[in-house]
Amino acid sequence: MQTVTLKPRMEIMISVEAENISPDRFAGRTEKEIQSLEVWMGNRRTTIGELFSVKVEGEGGSAAADTEIIMEGDFSRVKRIGEGMTAGSIMIKGNVDMHLGAKMSGGKITVAGNADSWAGREMKGGEIIIEGDAGYYLGSGYRGETCGMRGGKITVLGNALDFVGEHMCGGEIVVKGNAGLLPGLSNNGGKIIIGGSTSRPGSEMAKGTIIINGAVDEMMPVYRQEGTEVVDGVTYRKYTGDVVVNGKGLLYVK
Amino acid sequence: MELLIKNGAVYDPINGIKGDKTDISIKNGKIVDKVSSRALVIDAGGRLIMPGGVDAHSHIAGAKVNVGRVMRPEDTRAGIIPRTKITRPYTGYTVPNVYAIGYRYAQMGYTTVFEAAQAIMKARHTHEELEEIPIIDKGALTLFGSNWPTMDYVREKDMDKLAAYVAWGLLASRGFGIKAVNPGGGEMWGFGKNVSGLDDVVPNFDVTPAQIIVSLMKVNEMLGLPHSVHLHCNNLGKPGNYKTTLASMELAKQVKPSKDRQVMHVTHLTFNSWGGTNWGDFESKADEIANFLNNSENVTTDMGQLIFGSATTMTADGPVQYANAKLLHAKWGNGDVELEDASGVVPIFYVKQISIHAIMWAMGLELALLTKDPYKVLLTTDHPNGGPFVNYPEVIALLMSNKKRQEEIKTLNEAVHKRTRIPGIERELDFNDIAIMTRAGSAKVLGLLDTKGHLGAGADADIAIYDIKPDQIDPSVEHAKIKSAFSSAAYTIKGGEVVVKDGQIVATPAGRTFWVDASVPDQHTDIMMKDIRMKFKNYYSINLANYMVEDAYVTHPNVVRAGVIPVTAR
Repeated sequence: MQTVTLKPRMEIMISVEAENISPDRFAGRTEKEIQSLEVWMGNRRTTIGELFSVKVEGEGGSAAADTEIIMEGDFSRVKRIGEGMTAGSIMIKGNVDMHLGAKMSGGKITVAGNADSWAGREMKGGEIIIEGDAGYYLGSGYRGETCGMRGGKITVLGNALDFVGEHMCGGEIVVKGNAGLLPGLSNNGGKIIIGGSTSRPGSEMAKGTIIINGAVDEMMPVYRQEGTEVVDGVTYRKYTGDVVVNGKGLLYVK
Repeated sequence: MELLIKNGAVYDPINGIKGDKTDISIKNGKIVDKVSSRALVIDAGGRLIMPGGVDAHSHIAGAKVNVGRVMRPEDTRAGIIPRTKITRPYTGYTVPNVYAIGYRYAQMGYTTVFEAAQAIMKARHTHEELEEIPIIDKGALTLFGSNWPTMDYVREKDMDKLAAYVAWGLLASRGFGIKAVNPGGGEMWGFGKNVSGLDDVVPNFDVTPAQIIVSLMKVNEMLGLPHSVHLHCNNLGKPGNYKTTLASMELAKQVKPSKDRQVMHVTHLTFNSWGGTNWGDFESKADEIANFLNNSENVTTDMGQLIFGSATTMTADGPVQYANAKLLHAKWGNGDVELEDASGVVPIFYVKQISIHAIMWAMGLELALLTKDPYKVLLTTDHPNGGPFVNYPEVIALLMSNKKRQEEIKTLNEAVHKRTRIPGIERELDFNDIAIMTRAGSAKVLGLLDTKGHLGAGADADIAIYDIKPDQIDPSVEHAKIKSAFSSAAYTIKGGEVVVKDGQIVATPAGRTFWVDASVPDQHTDIMMKDIRMKFKNYYSINLANYMVEDAYVTHPNVVRAGVIPVTAR
């Protein structure tokens, strides 16, 4: 197992595009090689080594699966961490900016702090755990995309903002706290479980499941009530819809 | 500037050269008989040389292309290449930005591309984009099929006024030829309706699509335009529409060509060779269309080949796009162009396991393989309706290799066996056929043979050299090599300048825009303009003065003269 530890060398004020921070890019590379990988800071091309201190421990071979990345400090202006990763792990002891783990297909990302919007966008597999809060569009499809998250699992221990799992086609999102407006908007598969409260869930849902354990501030008037059903030992009111799109989505509200 | 290309295996169908080692001499952007000893020499080393590619039907510029870009930000993200010292950034796959369009065509060895539909009212937009497309020469066909003045003059049977309107419309739009899209139907879509056949009467105008098509063909030949009428048939996108297509092609017999070319070009046959009566018994009737083509002289077509994966359908056929959006539950862009036409844009994803898509894939290929004369079927994908133009090399490989087709058929929905004839077709096209379908034929159909589509003296020095040696390759077996060679030209030479080397852009000169200046007697124009002024006063939302494309919009023009007055008398 190769462990790579990154720490910011400075307070990062301008956003950084860091899709190169990924076990797939780091695997089998020396400290020097990792330092020379490209990142963009604003409109300036720079390197990982210039922005972060890099420490490599252990031998990992060339497989991403044997690569662990530990990031210590504040990464709240660092975007696209773990984009497209297929295996390995990233542990972030701090906050991160947008597009965390976008399009990832395997491996695991853990954030001890908060993640900004679009975390797990269009992800196909693997796991993301956000111990703090998530921003908007958790596990969604980016602008124009008709399929958001397709597989894998995202767990948020805190709250999430609006549009959780928009255009979701598969996989699972668990938000332990509250979710903002319109979770599961236009989704077409997958499962969303919300521990706390939310509002207007499942609008334009064609397929998929949404389970809400807290309060629903406002229900969309496009769901058909189908009595009650017990899911995992808990009794929920069951709804199907969105009838406007002939949807076969399932909405469970406690 | 002189250039000599030696040792190439040249395919130049117009001049009857089929793979012979022929030297090509270039001086001042033109092909000449010989050059001096100071000429720069390119040694082709036995590799394949063809005239620069010519695409007679592609949607590369204008309002609907831009609607596609706006609707599909996800497509823009699919093809990003950052700028370099030479090239500006590339974006997009089905709806690329203007720069990527020019670069990608040049990288495939194409040097001339025609936008297949512009409404006069939107022509300024078209030309703003055309001017920004680097390297390639281009032009745009102007929509006349549903315009109010067209239908008025057809009803009045006043061919002089119609000719004057067409000539003025080409000037107003800086257009190259007459395009008709679902004639009559585009206008009816403005009232939420459509026409369902050639003899349906368009309400308020009291004309039929058949009358519109025949009148436009007559006027096209009166004016002696370089290209013929370019027709997108009625009923496109409906099962059973092959009958309408055949009936439309039959109309071509009523008109004699004024030049050595067809009188009607029926476009993207993948979308209108459909048999059956509904989506359940949908089948290919491309064989019937090919049979018609084999027994007629006045009609040409193009494939509009379907490519599996992402595509963006865009057309002036507004009603068909409404039906598509409903059927596919897809995003729908709808446009109304006042007194001229309608339009619609819908993204689509073609899937190998969907029977209708698999059958459509077969139709384009059947048409090309069952039609004996390659001059009658051009290679297109109706970019980006059937798929993006960057897939032409895939189509070339499919046409040249039965083995590749059979491998592909194995991955498709089984309907391709029962409802098409493609599994049993063994014909494999050769390099000469491909040169016709992608160059010589397209130039002939467009009426550009004096300068495009061949390598004889006097032609533009637009040349593609591909990294294959025709005498050492079996395209049937080595189809992957064919595809990769046509994807990335070893050299593309545009107007005597090397613009692509080893698949990379090395220079980005501006291309020219071809448009037709057709003359008609002044008195005809004068009477016609009275009607036009009335239309602007009563109906148009803009002023006539803000309508015409001005010279400032076309900064690299190439004007082709035509008209009812002989050129010598002017």
